[in-house]
Amino acid sequence: MRKASFGQFSKALGMLLVLAGVGAICAAVSFAQANVSAQLPNGPAKLGFDIQRFSSNSGIFKTFSVEQTEPLQKVLKDGRVAEDTPVLVTVTAAGNFALLTDQMVFHHLAQGHAGGKDWMAAF
Amino acid sequence: MVPDIDGQLHHFTNVGLYDGLFVMQDSETKTLWNHITGEALYGPLVGHNLGPVGNLLQMNVKQALAMDPKMQIAISDRIYFAGGRQFGSAGGPPNGGTRQHGPNPNAEMGDRFVPTLGKEDQRRPRMELGLGVWTSATHRYYPMERIRERGQAFIDQLDGRKVLIYVNSDTNTPAALFINASTAKIQDVEIRLDNGAVVRDGVLFDRGGKRQAMERPQQVFSRWYGFALTFPGCKVFGE
Repeated sequence: MRKASFGQFSKALGMLLVLAGVGAICAAVSFAQANVSAQLPNGPAKLGFDIQRFSSNSGIFKTFSVEQTEPLQKVLKDGRVAEDTPVLVTVTAAGNFALLTDQMVFHHLAQGHAGGKDWMAAF
Repeated sequence: MVPDIDGQLHHFTNVGLYDGLFVMQDSETKTLWNHITGEALYGPLVGHNLGPVGNLLQMNVKQALAMDPKMQIAISDRIYFAGGRQFGSAGGPPNGGTRQHGPNPNAEMGDRFVPTLGKEDQRRPRMELGLGVWTSATHRYYPMERIRERGQAFIDQLDGRKVLIYVNSDTNTPAALFINASTAKIQDVEIRLDNGAVVRDGVLFDRGGKRQAMERPQQVFSRWYGFALTFPGCKVFGE
């Protein structure tokens, strides 16, 4: 079903580039992955989508399940971030919200619940 | 994005590549999803969308707090660096421990990515960096070199509205902001608009220094191939 499956899991994360820029920036990454493919349904496909070009990554990236947040001011005061630390900012039903770019280069996805609504950020 | 489909929460993971971009999959139905547009690509939920998509803006902590002093943050257990120190415990250091300042403009596409590409748009170099902006009517790409040629800040029109296109000088990332001005000029670390307003640390202030509400179009800092394959036939600023 899938055309390309990645080879051995080796140095996968260490080779990730910074600033995926919502994925498209990450294209220079050359990572190898375990030879395990994502489970796929049997279609249907959106018009123009070619499943033969899909390449599984074996699920090495773990979505950040956000259970709690804290004030950025406090985290800065505590010295756990610096003023020049890169962050990604989005808006949830509870207000403005930041994620660490360094961490999202790995997670790619973050999901949570805020202000009574579910949200998801993709990087 | 909104991870609810027909009122039910779904759980998403990055499961692979398509068009050189990462693809999401929900664990409930195994449907594959485009992570930029939120469209279902393959599986039983084709026809659904996870919109509204919303922006994920790149900035630094100083700018985030300038934007909103009450900004919240979530930090996972992954290793990260801040202020020259290492935090977190899980996984290896980001970027293999090498400190990088933004994406490499001269990067080459990894071998694993190439077979996933569709028919590429040859108007721009595959790996060029730029800002993609889109509305329901317009899909437009602003190459970084064109933004720099225009002094790193200029006004364009988007669906009849004026939009400031600029490079965030602290992070060297491009951004777009709807404004009510005709010209823009960078002075020191500020962008000065001809209506007297100023953009400082990513925040819009009027001529009196009062913070203004900001509205941004949907945007993504992307390499050319990613935006062009996501929005085939998109316009390129300056062409």
